[in-house]
Amino acid sequence: MNRWKTFLVFLAVMGPGIITANIDNDASGITTYSVAGARFGYDLLWTLIPTTIALVVIQEMCGRMGVVTGKGLADLIRENYGIKAAFFMMVGLFIANFGNTVADFAGWAASMEILGINKYIAVPIGALAIWILVVKGSYRFVEKVLLFACLIYVGYIISGIMAKPDWAVVFTSTVTPNMRWDPEYIYLSIGIIGTTITPWMQFYLQSSIAEKGIKKEDYKASRMDVIIGCSITDIISFFIIVTCATVLFPNGIMVNEASEAALALRPFAGDYASLIFALSLANASILGAIIVPLATAYYICEAMGWEAGVNKSFGEAPQFMVIYTIMIVAGALVVLIPGAPLVLLMVLSAVINGLILPFVLVYVIRLINKPRIMGEFVNSRGYNIVSWSTVAAVALLTVLFVFATLFPVA
Amino acid sequence: MALFGELFLSDVIRKPVFDPKGDIIGRVKDVIVVKGDPLPEISAVIVQRKGHLYLIRWLSINIFNKRIISSFLYADALEDYDRLKEDLLAVRDILDKQIVDANGAKVVRVNDIKLEGYNGTAMLVAVDVGMRGILRRLGVENRSEDILRFFNSELSYNLISWNYMQPLRPELKAITLTVPRQMLSELHPADLAELISQVSREEGTTLFKDLDLETAAEALSELKPEKQAEMINSIDTEKAADILEEMQPDEAADVLSDLPTEKAKEILEAIDKEEAEDIQELLGHEEDTAGGLMTNIFIAYPPDITVAEAIQRFKKDAEDIEAVYYIYIIDELERLIGVTSLRDLLLADQNLKLSDIMIAKIKSVSPETDDMVVAEIISKYNIVALPVVDSDNILLGIVSVDDVIDIILPPAAKRGRRKV
Repeated sequence: MNRWKTFLVFLAVMGPGIITANIDNDASGITTYSVAGARFGYDLLWTLIPTTIALVVIQEMCGRMGVVTGKGLADLIRENYGIKAAFFMMVGLFIANFGNTVADFAGWAASMEILGINKYIAVPIGALAIWILVVKGSYRFVEKVLLFACLIYVGYIISGIMAKPDWAVVFTSTVTPNMRWDPEYIYLSIGIIGTTITPWMQFYLQSSIAEKGIKKEDYKASRMDVIIGCSITDIISFFIIVTCATVLFPNGIMVNEASEAALALRPFAGDYASLIFALSLANASILGAIIVPLATAYYICEAMGWEAGVNKSFGEAPQFMVIYTIMIVAGALVVLIPGAPLVLLMVLSAVINGLILPFVLVYVIRLINKPRIMGEFVNSRGYNIVSWSTVAAVALLTVLFVFATLFPVA
Repeated sequence: MALFGELFLSDVIRKPVFDPKGDIIGRVKDVIVVKGDPLPEISAVIVQRKGHLYLIRWLSINIFNKRIISSFLYADALEDYDRLKEDLLAVRDILDKQIVDANGAKVVRVNDIKLEGYNGTAMLVAVDVGMRGILRRLGVENRSEDILRFFNSELSYNLISWNYMQPLRPELKAITLTVPRQMLSELHPADLAELISQVSREEGTTLFKDLDLETAAEALSELKPEKQAEMINSIDTEKAADILEEMQPDEAADVLSDLPTEKAKEILEAIDKEEAEDIQELLGHEEDTAGGLMTNIFIAYPPDITVAEAIQRFKKDAEDIEAVYYIYIIDELERLIGVTSLRDLLLADQNLKLSDIMIAKIKSVSPETDDMVVAEIISKYNIVALPVVDSDNILLGIVSVDDVIDIILPPAAKRGRRKV
């Protein structure tokens, strides 16, 4: 009886953690995993375990803050560190997330082309559909759509299984750390962390938990949701790497894009595996394109104290509407205009993500240790050691990632 | 006379403070705010030097403007300031926080605070919630003005006078005026509910606790169930009982049904006996059925009284009822036998009996009927209230059209704060 009750509470608070973690596997994440698998086979699989641990440690703190304070991270940064900190954080987040949105529209366009739909049709329709879903749809409907879309990620697991890997080798590679002094190898292993732990996730998770109004008493269930969500993200990443490693690596096929991977799968793994891979990419991209612009507009307005809400008119919430519209319209246009600096934007977005992440993480740890805000829910001393070392490691690696992106060795 | 004219708080923060000889004794870190007459005023300036905090009382401040801040004191005469003290600090507790603009009924963020010299004191007269405040804090107010002037447009001021500011944090209560509270109680309850659901749980409860009983009851019924439970949990049982007594019994039952059983029982025991019985009756029904939706407050008369008598009785009985659409006619066993609309009653010949004017063929549902079916019947037959009867045709209550509308089109405050 008691166990049932716990389970029911879990179901009620489930959602934020799982949705956040799934959207984390957006177009740029999938690209990184595909490239990693095709280039180095199973060798990079082991990086997923430390990445998951770091992700759980960081997301758990944000989840806890959301439950205890009932406020978003942008709110807390503005209230405790003043407007300058919040403003520059938001400018960074805007540019980085604009890059993410473009990447998502690009992923959508590429996967639709594989399915035989021209991008000049697919992208405008996609953008319009997102607009209508968000502006006209109700909250419950949007959440249902999102949870359903999260299910489609299972497609990657299916295509992983269809690739028929040698599971014994896969398992050994996953648990054996394998360091190599190859610049590309190091770049990709840091890239996996860089695309998995991105600043907007902390903001998104905390806001949606605060939003759901989860009570302190139900915090344990909420923590479970966060941990399960983080694990699911990396299980999906795992299967993407496995698919590309099993099929593309032995044949020496290099890919630079997730969509190329989907195409390259066809001759070796069959039409279905390729199709499922492409469909999952389309799903991940459109999901990212729904959430990222909307979330960005919300944080910025939250931090600056502007009226926000999709059910408000342009006159009532002008800043919100302008930010939201720019992200979607400009994001879609960049993908459609021939010769637009797509690659430059991606690099810029990755660099800015990497540059603001250390700041976000330091704010998170400092906020969570303030008894004034968190009361008895501050970090314990032991947990502080774990979280500070995680944050230091992640921050160091992302800065390295930024350097490697700006000054490619190859 | 330390301050003449007006000044923004951001103009003085981090500015050096000089002693009479012109040496720097520290930099302005914060100011302590106390209740003043007519508006809150600064009682002391807190300065920081080499990581230590010191307090300079307002009387020891010589000049206080945006260029120079000086004190009569020397560095060695400064009092230490303990950061753990429970003073109200403008930067820490007011700046960057959310407040309610009672005039515009909006939640806004404080970008800056406007001070004004008055009888030797520095009064807090307004909060800046506009773009100008943001630009000033970022240090680009003047440059932005120049750029905008080039385009022939101007930056507007967006200040909220302290008179209209309703705080969302308990520590700010000491320095607020009663005006905003009165203004809040004049707002439409639906707007109030939206304000409460826009802010964090703690801030929402602070705002809610400040409302008078009647306003609180109205706002509560507009909130979504989880929020209702939060609000009720935040106040003591006695007050909760008083608020629920103000509400219609069906709404009170809705609130109670979402609380933990223990708490609901406790509150129910504190409620006035008669009211408690009405609520108890309604609590027995499933939430999404006609029984869960209905109210057991309605008007019903025997068939043999005259129209004149019915009107007479109605004037007395309807006083405590929110809205009346129909008068039901019941026999001595309380079985529903007919209905007449208020309009028909008023237009009818005064000497006729109710049984003469009533419509005997009447649509009704059982308490177990699904709420969507109820909505369909109300929509199909264009009625404003649908009676609910038990298996013996005894009238239990009515479901009115506004109860049904809330299911089909939930108001904003019941839908959740945002759509992400």
